[in-house]
Amino acid sequence: MGIERPIYPFTAIVGQEKMKKALLLNAVNPKLGGVLIRGEKGTAKSTAVRSLAQLLPEIEVVSDCPFSCPPDNKADMCSICLDRFEMGEKLPAVKRRARVIDLPVSATEDRVVGTLNLEEAIKKGEKKFEPGILAEANRGILYVDEVNLLDDHIVDVLLDSAAMGVNTIEREGVSYSHPARFILVGTMNPEEGELRPQLLDRFGLCVNIEGILEPEARVEVIKRRVLYEDDPVSFARAWEPKQQALRDQIKKAKEILDQVEVSEELLFLIARIAIEMNVDGHRADIIMMKAAKTLAALDGRSEVNSSDIQQAADLSLQHRMRRKPFQKIGLEDEKLSQIFLSSKMEAN
Amino acid sequence: MPWENLYPFTAIVGQERMKLALLLNAVCPQIGGVLIRGQKGTAKSTLVRSLSVILPEIEVVEGCPFSCDPNDPATLCEQCRNILTKTGSLPVVRRRVQVVDLPIGATEDRVVGTIDLERAIKEGKKCFEPGLLARAHRGILYIDEVNLLNDHIVDIILDAAASGVNIVEREGVSYCHPARFILIGTMNPEEGELRPQLIDRFGMCVTVEGCIDPQKRVAIMSRREEFDRHPAAFLQKWEEKQDKIRQNIQRAIKRLPSVSISDELLSLCSKKAMEALVAGHRADIILQWASLALASFGDRIAVQPEDIETVAELVLFHRKRQSPPPPPQQDKNQPHDHDHHHDHQQPPRQGEENKSNQQPENSSNNNHQGSSSEKEEGQEQENTSAVGQESKPAQATLPFKEKVFQPGEPFKVRRFDLERDRKLRKGSGRRSRTKIATKAGRYVMSTMRRKNNDLAFDATLRAAAPYQSRRKRENVAIAIESSDIREKIREKKIGNFIIFTIDASGSMGANKRMSAAKGAILSLLMDAYQKRDKIGLVAFKGDKAEVILPPTSSIELGYKLMEDLPVGGKTPLTHGLLTAYQLIESQLRKDPFIYPLLVLITDGRSNVSLYGDKPMRESLKVAEIIGNDDRVRTLVVDVEKKGPLALGLSEKIAQQMGAKYFLLEDLRANILIEMVASEMVEIERNGGEGIIIS
Repeated sequence: MGIERPIYPFTAIVGQEKMKKALLLNAVNPKLGGVLIRGEKGTAKSTAVRSLAQLLPEIEVVSDCPFSCPPDNKADMCSICLDRFEMGEKLPAVKRRARVIDLPVSATEDRVVGTLNLEEAIKKGEKKFEPGILAEANRGILYVDEVNLLDDHIVDVLLDSAAMGVNTIEREGVSYSHPARFILVGTMNPEEGELRPQLLDRFGLCVNIEGILEPEARVEVIKRRVLYEDDPVSFARAWEPKQQALRDQIKKAKEILDQVEVSEELLFLIARIAIEMNVDGHRADIIMMKAAKTLAALDGRSEVNSSDIQQAADLSLQHRMRRKPFQKIGLEDEKLSQIFLSSKMEAN
Repeated sequence: MPWENLYPFTAIVGQERMKLALLLNAVCPQIGGVLIRGQKGTAKSTLVRSLSVILPEIEVVEGCPFSCDPNDPATLCEQCRNILTKTGSLPVVRRRVQVVDLPIGATEDRVVGTIDLERAIKEGKKCFEPGLLARAHRGILYIDEVNLLNDHIVDIILDAAASGVNIVEREGVSYCHPARFILIGTMNPEEGELRPQLIDRFGMCVTVEGCIDPQKRVAIMSRREEFDRHPAAFLQKWEEKQDKIRQNIQRAIKRLPSVSISDELLSLCSKKAMEALVAGHRADIILQWASLALASFGDRIAVQPEDIETVAELVLFHRKRQSPPPPPQQDKNQPHDHDHHHDHQQPPRQGEENKSNQQPENSSNNNHQGSSSEKEEGQEQENTSAVGQESKPAQATLPFKEKVFQPGEPFKVRRFDLERDRKLRKGSGRRSRTKIATKAGRYVMSTMRRKNNDLAFDATLRAAAPYQSRRKRENVAIAIESSDIREKIREKKIGNFIIFTIDASGSMGANKRMSAAKGAILSLLMDAYQKRDKIGLVAFKGDKAEVILPPTSSIELGYKLMEDLPVGGKTPLTHGLLTAYQLIESQLRKDPFIYPLLVLITDGRSNVSLYGDKPMRESLKVAEIIGNDDRVRTLVVDVEKKGPLALGLSEKIAQQMGAKYFLLEDLRANILIEMVASEMVEIERNGGEGIIIS
């Protein structure tokens, strides 16, 4: 590639507020566990995910580590970095933006989890681990377009590391284990088949999106796209102030995230929602709480309110509801608002 | 692993039975492990992983890759035995029992161990490089998502678990070492069941569910958040409790040899096992060990009856049977655990009673939720409950989420798996595993046969390694000759292709036939969805048949179409069969590796002619053509009521097609599924090398 063409700016995407919100929440709080974006073709799914990279805060990484280890946090280092750190070496650090790593649907397992390094083996007769996509994605975003078309055995390995934050390799003569904490972002078109429930649950949040129906907004989409195609550089420049503002907002939210509190009462509300909405397990509760906190932080507040929880419930329950077979993924909105209503009445 | 801050065992809220099972295994490895089944997000994996930091310490020979026990000369590995005879003593260290992770993507060479590549190349020595089974000796072998594990790897583990020894004969190394380990597996049954032989290897089995107590849920949230925010501080806070439990375990281990069990209680163990109709004696023995461990853990030196009561459920849960064991060949498609864990607390009789008690509730439910069958219900109200009962599986009343169904509604299908076959196939799906010829799929092992240009690099290097000292190497560390080349054998599941051919003529409206049939089909659809099978739907009514769902794996679409399928008109059976057959043929042309199964649901009253012959004769002719095509398997569901007025036409068609045949009266959907299942297995048995493609 010669001169890099600027990516379409995140802030210039018209509408699709829910999707944008879900992505931003993950940028603020990586512990949310990613987003699954479900929608028709041509609804700016991929554009939004790719443009998110420009908004991600900068991170410090060990410059010569394939796993982008943090140079100062022992707990999150790979074994090599940890050894060096313990030996008293000052690890070379660079600052860079967190990356968006693509996992193509056609990827093979050895490329995803890593494999035996061919060159080292032939030249030196040594067994070295060749890191794969999961290594690259550590501390960044792992983006799977058309995630529902992913091969089953790739999904299996993905499930494991997405849940534990560690990639364990016992294959092709190599035995290795390295940190693999990534934000899993998937897009899919439900017309082409659903996701396995187990993988579905690994996504922290889920949004269903549709094309925009208001004519003005649609016209705006076209206008902006044309402007961008004509001159991407100045288009990006024009949007830069907005981008910067959003970056600042994310940064600030990240700073105050740890101070955000949820009242006992609201925690019970979350538990109640989870129980009454009949979700499997406890992941939904935890994600709902984290999402509510992050929403508050993004809004500059240090106290979660019930509207945060309502939004969080919408984002975190969609895909976790026990469905009757073939029932569409989606939320029973009525039921949810009823729970809110009755909880408010009880409070008064 | 340094970057793994493990959530402390003691901080996990609830899940007491799962904790108990793990602790008892830590105290007494003879119990033989735990299988944890449960929904996603119920702390299954968290709990197992957290176990590693509270496990007891053991003495091992320093530097021994197999963690040999210095106090037990009989089980020493070769190397340790040599040291012992030379020096008279062994260097000893104490360390915690290890939890060894077996990732589901693991390849054979890493599991059993293989030739040490580096030493072979550099020193020209043939040495054994231990694999996961070696590392797991005297420890825990943990398999997350164990039901997704590759069959070939499962075989290896079963082998080692049964014999306690790992024998390696590959790539020029011949080695044998002890491999006794506690097997711990976690799985989500939604993703498919486990092979019965593997289930039996687990000493205990626990089913976990989320807590429904809001207090507990809030506690779970707050603790998790606290941990995520400040892991170090959280761990510190719980350290005291962690330490206490560690000491408890150590104490219990020490006490265990002195704990006794009376003869009376021993016979209670056997009685419990017999009541559960378990196969073999493993359950009795494990029950005894488990109750000893529990007594020891509870600071007692004698087993009490309550101990046995407490552990009986853990030990017998997955071993229960209702009737004498089925013949071994059926074992595969009827995993007994699945049958029986629903009704583990009630003898079958009681279950029946329950069912009828709950009947009213079920029918009232039905009015709320638009069931697929309501359209027909209007016409035949009087039959509602009867058919409802029929299409409901027997376990409908038990408190499992997939068990309450309205008439005609789908239900969870019992597993029907095909055995692996040896033929190379292409495709993608989840029902049957098969070795495949394309370059996709999971790399399991390697072969010397060269066909696909799918180089197994690691295996090639290992094959070349032993000869390096003799070969001429120029600028490379390893010289490879063409005789070393190995290729990958990959494994991937392929789906079946099930084509439903449905009689939608007016006669199907009678007696709620359609509703019951739909219920069964929907269930099969759901099963197909999870197994990535392809399905197709052909319906025939009026004067023609129609492909209402072309072969697809988008089952949602099939559901919608099924739901809306109206009934009425004549019965163009011939056209229906022909349409289905053409569909199968075209599908076979596209992909010769699929298993097509034609399911015909009809009353057989063919009354529309396609070629001007008598309708019935035409239908029989077409049936014969299909019957003669041995690529296609068939199954006929007869919806006609048996009686003096019955014409038995469907049966004739079934005979003509060589199809499996059964009646609507038997259409408790479970049976249909079993029928389909047995059909599938039969394909397998005939299958082997010959059946597909000529």
